[in-house]
Amino acid sequence: MPHLGETLAARRRSKQSSLLVYMMAGSVPEERFLSTVDALKTAGVTGLELGFPFSDPMAEGPVIQQAATDALRQGFHWPDLLRLLSACSQRLPCAVMTYLNPVLQRGEARAFEEMHGAGGSALILPDLPVEAAGPFRALRRKEKVDTVLLASPATTPDRLSLLVRRTEGFLYLVSRYGTTGAGEGTTPSTQGKEGDLGPLIARAHELRPDLPVLVGFGVRSREDVERHRTSGADGVIVGSAVQTRLSAGRSPEEIGAFVASLLG
Amino acid sequence: MPEWYGSFGGAYVPETLVPALKALEEAWRTARRDPAFKAELARLSREWGGRPTPLYFAENLTREIGGAQIYLKREDLVHGGAHKFNNALGQALLAKRLGKTRLIAETGAGQHGVATAMVGAKLALRTEVYMGSVDMERQKPNVLRMRLLGATVRPVDHGAKTLKEAINEAFRDWITNVQTTYYLIGSAVGPHPFPSIVSDFQSVIGKEILRQSKQAWGGHPDLVVACVGGGSNAIGTFQPMLRTPVKLLGVEAGGSGSSLAVGSASLTKGRPGVLQGMRTYLLQDAEGQVLETESIAAGLDYAGVGPEHAFLKESGRVEYTSVTDREALDAFHRLCRAEGILPALEPSHALAEAMRRARDLPKTARIVVTLSGRGDKDLEVVAQHAPPG
Ligand SMILES: Cc1ncc(COP(=O)(O)O)c(C=O)c1O
Repeated sequence: MPHLGETLAARRRSKQSSLLVYMMAGSVPEERFLSTVDALKTAGVTGLELGFPFSDPMAEGPVIQQAATDALRQGFHWPDLLRLLSACSQRLPCAVMTYLNPVLQRGEARAFEEMHGAGGSALILPDLPVEAAGPFRALRRKEKVDTVLLASPATTPDRLSLLVRRTEGFLYLVSRYGTTGAGEGTTPSTQGKEGDLGPLIARAHELRPDLPVLVGFGVRSREDVERHRTSGADGVIVGSAVQTRLSAGRSPEEIGAFVASLLG
Repeated sequence: MPEWYGSFGGAYVPETLVPALKALEEAWRTARRDPAFKAELARLSREWGGRPTPLYFAENLTREIGGAQIYLKREDLVHGGAHKFNNALGQALLAKRLGKTRLIAETGAGQHGVATAMVGAKLALRTEVYMGSVDMERQKPNVLRMRLLGATVRPVDHGAKTLKEAINEAFRDWITNVQTTYYLIGSAVGPHPFPSIVSDFQSVIGKEILRQSKQAWGGHPDLVVACVGGGSNAIGTFQPMLRTPVKLLGVEAGGSGSSLAVGSASLTKGRPGVLQGMRTYLLQDAEGQVLETESIAAGLDYAGVGPEHAFLKESGRVEYTSVTDREALDAFHRLCRAEGILPALEPSHALAEAMRRARDLPKTARIVVTLSGRGDKDLEVVAQHAPPG
């Protein structure tokens, strides 16, 4: 499969909008997971983000927290992720999304080598600040695995230019103050305010015209997708809205149809 | 204000929190040099908080043990019943300075939640406290106190339902409401600048110990002992003594002490990793999943520890050890009977180790134990265990 970053860049050049889907690896049996990936591919999804569960997912809302708990309870381990990644990356370009500690404990160099070997082409760590990303970025030369950095509505202009310069593959723009998922919170806090993303996206493109900017967190409807496209995003990332359906046992066809409806 | 303690510390947080942490660092940088801020903190600590706290010679206990002299730094006498007051007051004044209107906090034993509820009431800041549902059950009196003081207590039902999960939930709230809300973290943990801010506000403990020991016997202690959960009472005790010849000893919770259990002893049984914004020692499995911990003391029941302690362990300046639930309970009863003081289960761990060391030291040696809080919150837990024979 093609490299995720290269795919997104090519689509930006040809003015095609992209859509990535996040699903927690190990949250459902492998067979159903892979059938769902097939359905997503048919629906026109551009790429996949495979979540690797972490015990303490600080940026996650209830849906993905629960999915991580399910996966860990079923004894899902790093070698299982690599196996699933190999299978998924034959279907769609793939990134791995997890937290810093599992990667550190594996050893950065070893983790990159293994992800590359399994066909993964990007790593997304919401708790890796740009200041600490150096060792990860250095590994790209060898393994061609991008370290994708995240920006948010709270990001100041100075910091945005640093993130835009340092990110690889694409810029992950978090849509709102808040965790993943939208409105399904266990606390009153999870209804974060969405930021005004247009100026941030325009500034990112001005600084680095070839860089795809994708918006994620809380994307769950056709209107959300349209709104982000209108503000200049090269695409969106859908996580909790798909994971909710996956965890609830919805069929691959239903999930495919849902994602197709987002694409319009 | 250090961001790194050797290779420990840092600020491993989602991007949304970065500007807030930078603003906090800046606010603290100016506040600590502002005479008006310092005067307000000193006045409230004295008039409202009851500082300074006494350094008390535990004469009966010393006689019973028959070794070194044991002194207690009486943080149990601070307003609210624990050292948590020192940090909660300082940070709440910072929150005001930053123009925030809402405080959130996590709490394990409930003492930090109570302290935050107190300062929230006093400074008219809406206060919400996250607490694991297991901790709410075992520290009931503090849940009631927080509510009486006007705070909302939010139960957390993930994972082990204790302190670590409460911290995760507080961070999630902060990520969402960071524009209006101040996260008043309760120990010397989390991303920079929290560990150094908490350490600064708690260092009043160690400064007073040095001053009081000079007054009492014209020197400093030979050994100073404090319990380590996240490590705030310990770092506040140790910080001013790092460049003195005083021997420093941190005591973690060993839990049930069974050979399989790790208790909550991150420094003695863990390895470095990244959790909740900091690089530090963690109890974790081979793949970096953080383990569920156990301790009779809710305030010590945590898989991580403040990054400065990780550094002080590696540098060898501070010795760290652990004490089991049973040993802590025995020390608890011993202090009740010998001195008429009912300690919290957390500092009972420090006391247990101090008593052990006292036996092997000459009568001329002086040990200071930071008695970080009082034990009223623990009566139910203690009653469930057999008293010593
Ligand atoms: C009385 C008392 N001592 C100690 C602790 C442990 O915290 P730290 O290690 O931050 O002092 C707590 C925490 O709740 C406490 O209530």
